[in-house]
Amino acid sequence: MAEPTFFTPHQRATVEAAMARIIPSDDTPGALEAGCIDFIDRYLSGIDFIFAKPDGSGFEVLEGKAAESWRQRIEILRAKYNQGIADLDTRAQSAFSANFVALTPEQQDSILGAVDARGQAAPGVDEAADSSGPALQQTSTEIDLDFFPLLVVHTRQGFYADPIYGGNRQQMGWKTIGFHGPLSMKDVHEGRYTTLPFFAEGEAEKVREFHDGL
Amino acid sequence: MAFNNKPARAEAVIIGAGASGSTAAKVLCEAGVKVVALEKGPWRKRESFGGDELANINRYNLWPDPLLNPRTWRETASSRARIDQFCPVPQMVGGGTVHWQGWLPRVTQNDFRLRTIAGDLAGASLADWPITYDELEPYYLKVEWAFGVSGQAGANHFESHRSGGYPCPPMPVSRYVEKFHKGCSALGWNSFPLPQAALSRPYNGRRATVISAFAQQHGDPTGTRSSALNIFVPDAAATGNYDLRPQCVVRELTLDRQGRIKAAIYEDGEGNLFEQEADLFILACGAVETARLLLLSKSGRFPNGVANGNDLVGRNVTFHEYSAAVGTYEDPIYAWAGGGYVSASTFQHYEHDPSRGFVSGGHLAVAGVGIPLPINWHLPGAPTWGAEAKKIDREYFNHSLAVAMVLHDMPQHENRVDLDDKVVDAWGLPVARITLKPHRNDLDQGRYLIDRAADILEASGALDIRKVYADRITGNCSHQHGTARMGDDPESSVLDRWCRAHEVENLYVVDGSPFPTATGANPTLTIMANAWRVADKIVAERGNTT
Repeated sequence: MAEPTFFTPHQRATVEAAMARIIPSDDTPGALEAGCIDFIDRYLSGIDFIFAKPDGSGFEVLEGKAAESWRQRIEILRAKYNQGIADLDTRAQSAFSANFVALTPEQQDSILGAVDARGQAAPGVDEAADSSGPALQQTSTEIDLDFFPLLVVHTRQGFYADPIYGGNRQQMGWKTIGFHGPLSMKDVHEGRYTTLPFFAEGEAEKVREFHDGL
Repeated sequence: MAFNNKPARAEAVIIGAGASGSTAAKVLCEAGVKVVALEKGPWRKRESFGGDELANINRYNLWPDPLLNPRTWRETASSRARIDQFCPVPQMVGGGTVHWQGWLPRVTQNDFRLRTIAGDLAGASLADWPITYDELEPYYLKVEWAFGVSGQAGANHFESHRSGGYPCPPMPVSRYVEKFHKGCSALGWNSFPLPQAALSRPYNGRRATVISAFAQQHGDPTGTRSSALNIFVPDAAATGNYDLRPQCVVRELTLDRQGRIKAAIYEDGEGNLFEQEADLFILACGAVETARLLLLSKSGRFPNGVANGNDLVGRNVTFHEYSAAVGTYEDPIYAWAGGGYVSASTFQHYEHDPSRGFVSGGHLAVAGVGIPLPINWHLPGAPTWGAEAKKIDREYFNHSLAVAMVLHDMPQHENRVDLDDKVVDAWGLPVARITLKPHRNDLDQGRYLIDRAADILEASGALDIRKVYADRITGNCSHQHGTARMGDDPESSVLDRWCRAHEVENLYVVDGSPFPTATGANPTLTIMANAWRVADKIVAERGNTT
């Protein structure tokens, strides 16, 4: 995408490599193929890509207090990235005498694991001991997060948010998990997108006359 | 402060145009009362909403921006408050109903007399309501029929008396609802389609509600959901009596010499100050912001905030808490269909039962796990990144659902909303500071409810069950109540039974602030019914005096 970018080429390569470990590629696409790096580079480029227009025709122009707030927020996030990327290289140099981007995936995982302040909870834990985790929080305050959890959140956003934001190319993220999303934001905006076919057997049939798009 | 403008005096000023403010506006305007409504946020049209999780949930397109509208939280009066987006609600015309999916169960008759039923609970400030279920019942029905609520009368065996049925049959059955009913049925528990602010079929000239995946926490671009924005605001506006002024931030209420509210001082979007006088003032800002505005309105007569002579404003605040047990199944559930909130509920654990060892209970309902995508969700206890996290996203997204609780938290005198002494908002006003520590009863009841949620999952064939107990109260469900209790005794309550301030004869509060206790169900239907009741009384009194 030929758009204003925030990262230097080295920063961009570093973040792209880290994102590729957060959502790795296997027999299905990962952060690399979905373009999560474009998503975050676009986000950090300024305040021109904060809110897509709801019909998907472009982006809203922010004004007044909202513009002030978003300028402030983007500055905070940029500082976290600048510092966090430098920290990845420092740790990589110290452990493996190379920059993060040059490490093997296993080496990168070990660096990221060390940066991940919260650590990896073992799969299959019965009760979420981590009460600060986002599991049942309905709102998010990104700027309170440390660099690594922030990068995880942004990678997930880039993988699963609407493709208009630069990631989730060809809805790869959605296809990977089996989300039958709308063809485009315009479909939602105009009321054509319905999920009734994914309701219980026969339910959509009963109300077909009331709904478009079935 | 010099006022650039002094608009014409109004009969009534309503502060807030969300669920309660627009209900009061509809009733007053339809009775011929000239209303000026001052709403902090914008008046957005349906075309401005879209299916965009990033904008709507992560980027504060609908939620308040915490850099502009911060709050603070501390556990007790002796701990240091930190900035925390505690219990946010969208601040715009329509309020929380703009992004809700509108679960509208009625509370039961025992909710109005919890102290009588449960007795005293050490550390809590339980109180009976000054009104009964029967007094509110006709207004429940009015709201249900105005909104076109889809539900099934009699399906909830624990429901109190109804004087009429629902205007629309229940919403279509989702796969997650099927599982929920199956689990409850296997346990011998009653379950029922959760009444919803949506149209299962055309009603009142409106088309059936579009069943998108972008629903809960998303605005409605189709205008087909039932909300204050789509129903009560247009109803009020159609009368020609509703002067709704968006992006007007009320800074304080001033008093006249008789100790009545004289005016609301507000700032418009361009920063101009106005003094709006009226015969009466109705606060409908939500329980947190209503308390904050009362406390911001200091005067010689009320040095600690208007109507706060007894230091009760902001106290006894309750927030519920949303938590859940999550189950995964062999077969696909598609719990994102319908936004995950075309739901069913059980009141089997709602009523007080002394044998459980704690007071009261809450309802349990089934929900999806994403909003709708796994951007703002991960499986409790699972890794957030790496191959295992991706595997979980792939294997669980279509196969998981949540059975969630509405925790009936206990009112406590020390739990309160007051003004922060350091943090101000983008308008330079001190923000709401929440002081809140859960009562032991809240934690015990929460564990019990989550365990019962897990029972439902197990009985419905879930392979893997993960419980998330509520160890804290975080205000994560936007429900807020109790900060200006209603009661018959002016010594122990802020408002009388008509939600008029004991100390200020032309001041009313119609949001969740009057609730003496939180109840164990989603509060907005009860808030709107109560606002309608109060507005009816105001209309009747106006008839008497003119």
